[in-house]
Amino acid sequence: MSKQLKKIAIYGKGGIGKSTTTSNISAALVEAGYKVLQFGCDPKSDSTNTLRDGKYIPTVLDLLRQKPKVDAHEAIFQGFQGVYCVEAGGPAPGVGCAGRGIITAVELLKQQNIFDELDLDYVIYDVLGDVVCGGFAVPIREGIAEHVFTVSSSDFMSVYASNNLMKGIKKYSNTGGALFGGIIANSINSPYQQAIIDDFVSKTGTQVVEYVPRSITVTSSELSGRTTIEAAPKSAQAEIYRNLARKIAAHTESRVPTPLETEELREWSAKWADQLLAIEAGVVKDKKQVSKSKIYE
Amino acid sequence: MSKILNLKTPVVESREQRLGTIVNWEGKASELVKASAYSSGGCGSGSGCGLCELNSPFTQGSVCSEQMVECQAGHVREAVLIQHSPIGCAAGQVAYNSLYRNGLRNRNKPVENIRVISTNLQEKDMVFGGVDKLRQSILDAWTRYKPKAIFIGSSCATAIIGDDIDSTASELTDELGIPVIPMHCEGFRSKHWSTGFDSTQHGILRQIVNRNPKKQEDLVNVINLWGSDVFTPLLAELNLRVNYVIDLATVDDLAQMSEAACTIGFCNTLSSYLATGLEQEFGVPEVKAPMPYGFAGTDAWLREIGKVTHREELVEKYIAKKHAEVKPKIEELKKKLKGLRGFSATGSAYSHGLISVLRELGVESNGSLVFHHDPIYDSGDPRQDSLAHLVDNYGDVQSFNVSNRQQYQFYGLLKKFKPDFIMIRHNGLAPLASRVGIPAVPLGDEHLAVGYDGMIHIAEIILDVIAHTKFHKNLAAHVKLPYTKWWLAQDDPYILSKKPELIYQD
Repeated sequence: MSKQLKKIAIYGKGGIGKSTTTSNISAALVEAGYKVLQFGCDPKSDSTNTLRDGKYIPTVLDLLRQKPKVDAHEAIFQGFQGVYCVEAGGPAPGVGCAGRGIITAVELLKQQNIFDELDLDYVIYDVLGDVVCGGFAVPIREGIAEHVFTVSSSDFMSVYASNNLMKGIKKYSNTGGALFGGIIANSINSPYQQAIIDDFVSKTGTQVVEYVPRSITVTSSELSGRTTIEAAPKSAQAEIYRNLARKIAAHTESRVPTPLETEELREWSAKWADQLLAIEAGVVKDKKQVSKSKIYE
Repeated sequence: MSKILNLKTPVVESREQRLGTIVNWEGKASELVKASAYSSGGCGSGSGCGLCELNSPFTQGSVCSEQMVECQAGHVREAVLIQHSPIGCAAGQVAYNSLYRNGLRNRNKPVENIRVISTNLQEKDMVFGGVDKLRQSILDAWTRYKPKAIFIGSSCATAIIGDDIDSTASELTDELGIPVIPMHCEGFRSKHWSTGFDSTQHGILRQIVNRNPKKQEDLVNVINLWGSDVFTPLLAELNLRVNYVIDLATVDDLAQMSEAACTIGFCNTLSSYLATGLEQEFGVPEVKAPMPYGFAGTDAWLREIGKVTHREELVEKYIAKKHAEVKPKIEELKKKLKGLRGFSATGSAYSHGLISVLRELGVESNGSLVFHHDPIYDSGDPRQDSLAHLVDNYGDVQSFNVSNRQQYQFYGLLKKFKPDFIMIRHNGLAPLASRVGIPAVPLGDEHLAVGYDGMIHIAEIILDVIAHTKFHKNLAAHVKLPYTKWWLAQDDPYILSKKPELIYQD
């Protein structure tokens, strides 16, 4: 009999640290004794690399290409402390349809009852966050993930991607789709970066799950093909990821977000851009700026 | 019982995934039996496949899974089918309307047109998504017809852009208070169209079949198409009543499937998914026996029905009565059929049955064509291994060909076997045979060959059909086939699979 499986999707703009964050969450959860499967939904298929010594694994869609009949078990590999790793895979850049790839791969695993069979506690989908077509929205639809988190830095483009994702979630929320758990604020090293994200979550009726600073420990762990949890288990950064994982484990109530309209988002970012310019020009001191951000609340 | 079918997800698993289905193969029937999963344990078990399929570089047209949805979900009375597709997918509506109308007339039901609506998706719908149009079409269908169920068939276009038909369906199921059933039947999902049958049956199992059944001890689900009503008199002899599904059934007929005593069919290809699903989800036993063709098949099939419905005595009486009645007639007919050579070219399991009938009638049948082969059926029960049943009871078929309705290959097979007649159910094959001077026994009414009387029916039709052989010979003498001299002289219908480079010759 399967236990209560918690299904989570983590989205984020390409290159924002989404796979790094997801893999560290997975690593922290297995370390805490949970059974976890990380499902990479990015045609680059490198989501789970740091859980497996930097190595690529054959993807679900590789199997589909090679065999008349796909046994999804052949796409499941174990990594750090037994974590299960799956990569959806996808076409080479510029050809085919990566969105359909996600639909096909997710469906294959569902049909073969893999999650029940492995008796998992957590399935974590790591998805490319610019939800550019129906395929990339599959993990937030009915019956796939329950909670969606987004990894975002304070860069506007990253915030835009999060806002777009919220639009997708809002759309599917009344048909049993996933709800929004919150933002994992990544590469937050200065008060103004934190202020930007804080302001954005307050505008969109969501929350920050954790602030994750940019850290050289993460980079050096990645270069060694491992997560921070594995490579630098005693570091402060590893503790931040563990904290994040604990919060995600304890998280039960997700909500329908209220994303900003395009015009609102533009005005919002313009106001912040003015302030950032002022900080750079030395007109406004960083600390003052933070207190000024309260105006927007 | 561990679940065989996964009904939790709205998307049906394709035939090749579940059963290891192939569409291109040649050899002896006995070799195919050995390579198939009942014997080899290969296909269907999820680990590799003992059955090696030929790989052709060329396909001359085929059929789409979505069309099977049209001819099943589109033929449920009091329901509407929405084709969520560009308009091209709706081309089949004309043919399926004629089948529906003829089927209704054949069963003495009020004749009406099909109720199938296409969302007619266009460029901007592909770009911006088509679910709004789908929603509108469903509401229009509701206003116009007040149906008891609405089916939605996906298409290649909507499946690629990832239109979320599932959410729209569940939303409207709540809003309208009737089942709105998404069916994932896009053509590219499966190499064989029979996945379309499965996707309709999957949707019906999930959303229409009554979950609180009040058992009807004498009701039998008969999974069929549009065939004439031969099952009612047959089962009446056993004090059983017929519930025909899916074509021409009402939504209520489909709902009451869970109330039946058992499920039977005329062809495993068609009934495999639904019958297994009814047993798995609702405890309605699937009659696991050979199909009802020829004496051996019909005897075993009836006995299994007797066992499942506790009517063994009635069954034995009926068998004895029919043997006595039918055998002398068949002996007479055999004399007239002596020396004839027949070639069956139909859907997979059905063909196994037809060859049995031909062999019972003493008609030579050493070559045949099936459109695909399922190495196993969903139940996995060896009693349903219809091909092994054929080989064990009626001997081997020397040239048992699998080809998904490839005309050019069919031409090669006709040339090789020179049959006196062919037996077909699907369109497009008879005209080719005519043009090489061979008449066709058309089994559009799929029930003609069923049971003891089926053998007599078939014998009589064969005699009728060969009586006008001269017409076809004349035709052949005056038409030119569209093939090159090379292909006309080619002896191996599968040469392109073996030497794919030949396709590039001038």
